[in-house]
Parts: sequence; structure tokens; C-alpha cells
Amino acid sequence: MKLRSILRILSLLAFLSAGVAGYLYYSLLKDYAFQEAERSALNRLQATKKNLSAFFSENTKPVRVMAGMTPLVDALVHMDPQTLNAANALLDLFKKTLDVEVCYLMDIRGNTIASSNRNDADSFVGMNFSFRPYFQDAMQGLPGTYLALGTTSRKRGAYYSYPVYRESADTPIGIAVIKASIFFVEKELTPEETSIQLVVDPLGVIFISSRPEWLYQLLWQLNPKDIRELRRSRQFGNGPWHWTGLRQKGEKLVVDPSGKSYLFHQVDIDKYPGWRIVHLYDIEAASKLVSEPLSSIIRPVIIILCTLLGASIFFLYRRASMEITRRRTVERALRKSEERYRSLYHQTPAMLHSIDETGNLVSVSNYWSEALGYTREEVIGRKLTDFLSPVSRKYAEEKIIPTFFKEGFIKDVPYQFIKKNGAVIEVLLSAITDHDEQRRTIRSLAVSIDVTERNIAERALKEAKEALSSYSKDLESQVRKRTREISGILQYTPAVIYIKDADGKYAMVNSRFEQLFGVQSPDVRGKTDQAFLAPDIAEQFFKNDERVLREKQSLQVEESIVIDDAVHTYLSTKFPLYDGKGKVTGVCGIATDITVLKKAQEQLRRLSASIMTGQEKERAYLARELHDELGQVLTALRMEAVWIRNRVNQSDPTASARALTMCELIDKTIEEVRGLAIRLRPGVLDHLGLVEAVEWYTADFEKRYDITCIFEHDDGPEIRGNLATAAYRITQEALTNVARHASATRTKVTMSFGDGNLKITIRDNGKGFEIESLGEAEGLGMANMRERASLVGGVFDVQSRPRGGTRIRFTVPLTKS
Amino acid sequence: MIKVLLADDHSIVRAGLRRIVEESGDMTVVAEASDGREAVLAVRKERPDVAVIDISMPVLDGLEVIAQLKSESPEVPILVLTMHEEHQYVVRAIETGAMGYITKQSAPEQLVKAIRKVHSGSLFLTDAAAEALALRVAKGSGTQSPLDTLSTRELQVLRRLALGNTNREIASAYHISIKTVDTYRFRLLKKLSLRNNADLSRFAIQNHLIET
Repeated sequence: MKLRSILRILSLLAFLSAGVAGYLYYSLLKDYAFQEAERSALNRLQATKKNLSAFFSENTKPVRVMAGMTPLVDALVHMDPQTLNAANALLDLFKKTLDVEVCYLMDIRGNTIASSNRNDADSFVGMNFSFRPYFQDAMQGLPGTYLALGTTSRKRGAYYSYPVYRESADTPIGIAVIKASIFFVEKELTPEETSIQLVVDPLGVIFISSRPEWLYQLLWQLNPKDIRELRRSRQFGNGPWHWTGLRQKGEKLVVDPSGKSYLFHQVDIDKYPGWRIVHLYDIEAASKLVSEPLSSIIRPVIIILCTLLGASIFFLYRRASMEITRRRTVERALRKSEERYRSLYHQTPAMLHSIDETGNLVSVSNYWSEALGYTREEVIGRKLTDFLSPVSRKYAEEKIIPTFFKEGFIKDVPYQFIKKNGAVIEVLLSAITDHDEQRRTIRSLAVSIDVTERNIAERALKEAKEALSSYSKDLESQVRKRTREISGILQYTPAVIYIKDADGKYAMVNSRFEQLFGVQSPDVRGKTDQAFLAPDIAEQFFKNDERVLREKQSLQVEESIVIDDAVHTYLSTKFPLYDGKGKVTGVCGIATDITVLKKAQEQLRRLSASIMTGQEKERAYLARELHDELGQVLTALRMEAVWIRNRVNQSDPTASARALTMCELIDKTIEEVRGLAIRLRPGVLDHLGLVEAVEWYTADFEKRYDITCIFEHDDGPEIRGNLATAAYRITQEALTNVARHASATRTKVTMSFGDGNLKITIRDNGKGFEIESLGEAEGLGMANMRERASLVGGVFDVQSRPRGGTRIRFTVPLTKS
Repeated sequence: MIKVLLADDHSIVRAGLRRIVEESGDMTVVAEASDGREAVLAVRKERPDVAVIDISMPVLDGLEVIAQLKSESPEVPILVLTMHEEHQYVVRAIETGAMGYITKQSAPEQLVKAIRKVHSGSLFLTDAAAEALALRVAKGSGTQSPLDTLSTRELQVLRRLALGNTNREIASAYHISIKTVDTYRFRLLKKLSLRNNADLSRFAIQNHLIET
């Protein structure tokens, strides 16, 4: 803006200078023109003077000649008509010849005796002009010249007189006069617009004027004395003589009453002492006259020039202004780019620094200072090498920095920086030099990449690789060892093992497989079951393996294989094999001959069933014996005791009391026997059936354990025998478990008969348990219930979860009985 | 003289019973049976005024005897005399047609009274037996009863409360603490959405748990 203001002021000044120059030139021209005009005016004045002088002296000689003419002397001497006529004729002749206004002759008294105008109305003859100076001068023998307004003719004229002498006489006898008209002279003073020419007498009366209205007026104001003198001389009539109003203002300047200024010059007229020719030069008109041509030519030129100048100034100003704007934009862009560069430099998330030629840091990026833990102020001006580890410093000072300033760049130089806290950063430093315009290095631009982590990682990687290599060797040997082991296992295991691919073709069989089916591993490889196995076996294998492949789940299944007409049961575990991507590539089967186990299991089950049955029988027997036999006997005993008591009640109170004690003892014993019997096996189960037995048991359970026990049942067939026993025992066991372990407050037994099944459900609101984590005793209880259920062909099912209570369900078909 | 039949497979028990019956003075044992079949035959032959039948008997058990006698000789009132105290027996016996039920244990004290009662055409039941019967009748009256959701003990307490028993009385009847009775009461009210004992009574009557 400042520059622009300066430019503006300069433009203004240029314009002003142009204007002033134009004006000065104009004034100079004007002055010059003015001077020219003045000079020409003076010239003209001189010319006029010459003319006038010539005019005024023109008739001095003729009049002298005329005065010497005899007729005139004769006339004066004789005064007779003859001589007068001759004189008149002479006068007429002179008048005609000289082309003057009038020629006349006066006597010594001043009376006109002859005149060329004697026949005119204003004839001078007889007139006395003795008051005129020219008469007086002539009478004294001097030639006279006089300018005056004619008293008779009322015409201005120049009077030339000369004394007329008698022969050889010294005193004049009269005077001859020639009066020349002013008219011609006045015509010489052609009026001009710019100037006024006047002929004034010594008192300032204007006698001849180029401006007619000023005639007989006074050039300057006169005092009354002079006026009186003027009137007395009657030189210019009788007046009045008005003042023109001109006033002198300085040597060469006069002002008229209207304020118009005139340049004033005057010259004396020769031989007319006091008479002057006055030249008044109208300054305004003159300047007009001068300036008009100037104006008409110069002004447009100046205006055009000024306009052109103004236009060019304006144009240049615009150009300059645009240039300024452009420069400013460029400057701004430059500054911005500089700022951006600076910001980029500082903000770049990289370790940037610059050093000067002496190796001192001149700038560092924020990241640099953050990475090293210094503030910028702490590092600027210090040597870069101050921040290097001793090894790096030596390396830098001796080798890298000299090379760098010689070559202009370095790349990936490994340095170690020391952070403010003493930690070491490993970096790779690359740098280029920055030159000024004279190709002198002014600073460097260096970027360091923190490779501490990378180096650590690389070292770790290297170590890991070594470890891996040794591990992999170890692994290889382990694999070899394991392979040998597995091969051994496969070879010597009693299990039949094979692997099939996803299409069901054998990939591997072990030696047991070979023995079992009488084949050789290479022969079966790539073959399907059907290709070399008996149809029923092939069918079994194919079906189960296909299921594993389809469901992608391991499967445990019993397979029967006939060997030497004996059916062998194999427990086969089959599981899918996966490749690295989790795709099923095949199936592996491991089959163990469990024929013996199976038989043993079967025997065990039968044994357990018979034990249970036997135990149940035993219990029933014992219960019955206790309840019916011992109980009955006790009852009978009690009757006896009561009888005795009643009998001796009156006679022997002591015996009666003893009988009562006995009675109570018997009652207690009966209770115990009953309890024992019922615990062994409730009679209700045998006499009334399952529903009643469970009803009794639940009520008894509630009473004994103070756990609310609800029993709900449908109407159904009366269940007795083994089924009733199993159902009762399962219910009993389940409720016992509730009382022992569940910490329940409520339990509910539901018995329903639907779909030809008996279904008993025992629920509780107790703490529940993880089925997998049952203790041995509880597990055995469960197993017992399961066993009982399976013995009668039923299904036993437990559901429980921690804090969710337990539900036990026993379902058995009622087809039998 | 009331003619009484005694059916029991234990001779010593029979002997004791005979003595009790005969010592009453106005009763006489007209026949004894040691199994169910004998009992049925004896009734046919002797036409006793009252048949006293044990439940556990060989050949035909007591319940079968009752059923048979009920169809053959419905006019002979049957008194069940048994070792079994379980209410299930009481209910079954009465359902089958017996007029009374007593345990052998209580025979010296109650047998004569019971025979007289059934002979007069009335039911003879101990309080506990009566209660069991009432509970069963109530529960068995409809297929879906609100009582189904109650346990036996709850039903017992409910009935007692409905009958106007105090907590103390109930507690002593079932050998439980008064506090437990109160717990039961509270639980019943909550379970059945009732407010007070009056509601409980009304509920018990509506569900035939007690008779009006």
C-alpha cells in the first residue's frame, strides 16, 4: 500500500509538473507575445512620431516661401483691392498646391486681410487672431508652429506662420499663415483594438485621438489654474475639458475609470515642446490578442498533451499497480510456500535437521526434538556431533561430514544419537546440501530415520531365525523320532487303524488291519471298501465313514465283524482329518475288538440286575417278616400287656404301671420294626401299587426333611412288580439326593401316563450341579438309577445346572403287563 | 350279642383279639379265619354281624376280601384291623367298602368301640384316618383342582386351619414347630392368593376339604 501511495503521489507530481510546465510555457509564450506587442507598439509610436514630425514640419518651409512672395508684401503695403486680389490668388494657389486647409494673411494688428477661404461661410477675412501664439511668434520674426482648434472654423489644425517683411526691412509688416488640417494626421492614427494613440499638449489636452470620444478631454486631472490658462489661450476652444479619468499606476501603467489597464508610452514631438504622442496599450485586449492565437493552438496542444500525459500516467500507474499486485501475490505465495515449507519441515513426522558449514545445527523439526527429548532452543547453534554417541561423533567428524560437504549428499549413514535422558537412538541419516545462488553451501537438509526398533527387531529376527533353525532341526529329529514311534504304535497296536481319503479310498491301513482282513497295505491303497471287503462289512464301514465325512464330526460306533464264524464287536472311533485350511481331507478309523469286554459287560449287567432283584426280594422278605411276623407278635404281646394292665388295674397299681411301661416299650418297638420294614420296602408298594407308594413316600419325605414335596399324578393303571419297584426306587433315590445335596425348599414329583409310557419327573429348586463334576458317591447314585431304569427298559435322564435346580426324568413304556 | 368274625393269619393275634372281643360281654366271636378265602367262606356260613378283617393275609388279601364281601354280603359291616398305619390303606379300605379302620396296636383300646360303631351302621375312623380320607376325597373330587399344587403337609395344615385349629394345636398334631406352621400358613395364603384364615376356610369348604 505504501508503494502504491508513493506511486500515486509520483503520478500526481508528474501530472502537476506537466501542468506547471505547460503553464510556464504558456506564460512564457504569452510574455514573449506581449513583449512583441510592446515592441511593435513602440515601433509604431516611433513611426507615428516620425510621421507627425514630418507632418508638423511639412509646411514650415512653404509658409516661409509664401511669406516671401511679393503679392503678399504688396497687399500688406498697399491694402488696395488689387494687391489683395493678387494676394488672395497667391493664397489660393498655395492652398491648392500644398493641399492644406487654408492659407491666409494677417496684418500687424492681427487682422486677416486675405484668405483662401474668403468666400466661405467661415471666412477668416476680417478676423483678428492676434491672441494666437503663432502670430506673436511671427511678429517677433520667428517662424511659428501651433496646434489648435480654430476659433472660427471650429476645426483643428496645425498653424504655420511666418513674418512677412518689406524689402530690406527687419520688422514684419504682417504674417502669412498656413493652416493644415489634422484630419490626415488623425487618419494615420488608425484606431486599433489594442491600443489608443493620442497627441496631447503639454497640459494634457487630447488634441488628436484614435478614440474620437476622448478628443479635447484631459489626459490627467488638471488644477484650476491650468484650466484657467487653457481657457484664456483659447487654443482648444472654450471648453469644458473633461478628464478622461485615467490614472497613472506606476511608470508604465494607467488605469481608466472602468478599471481597464493600459500600458503607457509617450514620446515628445520634435519642435513642439511639451507635446507628446501617447500610446495606451490595452493590456487585456493585448493579452487577448496575444493569447488568443496561443490559446487556440497551444491550449489544445497542452490539453491534448496533458490528456495524453494523464492517460499515460494513468496507464503506467495501472501497470505499476498491477505489477505491485502481481509482486505482492507472488510475494505472498512465496511467503506462504516458505511458511508451508517451514511448517512442513517442523511438522513432518520425521527427524529433520539442518546444519551450517561449521556443523552447527540451524534448525530441527519438532519430531527431531521430540525424539531426542530436547527443546529447539537447547539445540540450535550447537554442534550436531554433540548429540551423537562417541563412536558416531568420531565417524562423523572424520569421515562423514567432510565427505558430505564435498559431495553434497550422503545416504543412509548409520548414526547413534544420544537422547537427553541418555538413551541411544539408532538412525539412518540421509542428507543433501542446500545452496545459495552462488552455489555456495549454506546449510544441509538431513532426515534421520529411527531404526532402533528395526535394528532391535532385526536382531531379534536373526536370533529368532537361528532359534527357529535349531528348533526346526530339533523338530525334524523329533518328527523322525515321533514318526518311528507312531509307526511302531500303528504296527503293534491291537487296534485296527486305517485312513481313507475324502472319496472313501484307503490311504493307509496298519498291520492289524492287514491281518484281520488278510490283505497287504499296498494292495488296498486307493481302493474302496467294496473292492476287497465282504459286502456286509464294507456296507458298515462305508456307511459310518461316509457319515463322518458328511457331518464332519467324530463318531463312536460299534461294528460287527464275523471272524471264523464268530461275531466280533469292534468299538470304532472315526474322526475326520483336516488339512491346514480346515477342509476335510479324509477319515481315520480306529477299531478295537471289544467282544470280550462286551460279553463281560453283559454279564455284569445281568449280575447287577440279579443282585438288584435279589436284594429287592430280600428286602421284601425281610420287611414282611419284620412287619407281619415280628410286628404281629409284638401286637399280640401288647394286647396281653394291656389285658394284664386292665386286670390288675384295681388290685395292684404297681403291676398295672409296669404293664403300662411294657405297653409303651412294645409300642416303641413296634414303631421301630415298622420303620425298619418300611425303609426296606414299603408294604404300600406291594399292596396298593406305585401311585400310593409314591404318595406315601412324598408325604413321609416332606414330614422327615421339612422340604415341601408336591406329588401330582394322572389316573392310570396300577403299577406293580419290577416296574413299580424300579420307579419307586428311582423316585426314592432322587428325593434322597434332593434332601442330601440340593439345599432345596421345594420339590415336585409328577407321574403321568401318556403315549403308553409311564413318566416320572422329579424336580427341585435347589442349587443344581454340573453333571460332569459329580462326586463318586453321587455319580454312583446316578448310575444306580440309570441301571434300574435300563433294567426295566426305561430311559433315565438328568438335567441340572448350577443354581438352576435339578430335573430327573424316568420314562418307561407300559407295553408289558 | 354281636356276632363277630375275626380274620387274621396270626393265631396269637387272633387269640388276643378274641379275648378282647369276648371280654366286652355283649359280643361273641362266631368264626375265625386265617386267610382271606376262609374269611369269605366263614362270612357266607356264619353270617356274622361284623367282620373284622386284616389286610395282610395269604391267599386273598384283606382288600380283596372286602371287595368280595361287599358284593356278596353287603349287609355285613367290615372293620379293617391291620398293622398298617399308612393312610393309603385307610383310604383304599374305605373306598373298597370297609366301615371302619383301626390298627392292631390300638385294638385293646378301640376294637370294641369300633365294632359297636360299625355294627350300628356308622363309620369308625381315627382322627388321622378321617383326615386322610378327607384329603383324598378333596383331591380326588376333580381332575384339575387347586389342591393339586399343594403338598400333603400343606393340605393338612390348610384343613386344620380351616377347621379353626390354632397354630399351637396344629404344631403339636404334626410334631412340628409353631413357627413352621406359620410358615405353612403364609405359603398357603400366597400360593392360593388368599388373605386370611377366613378365606382359607372358605377355600377349604369350596374344595370339599372340610364338611360344613
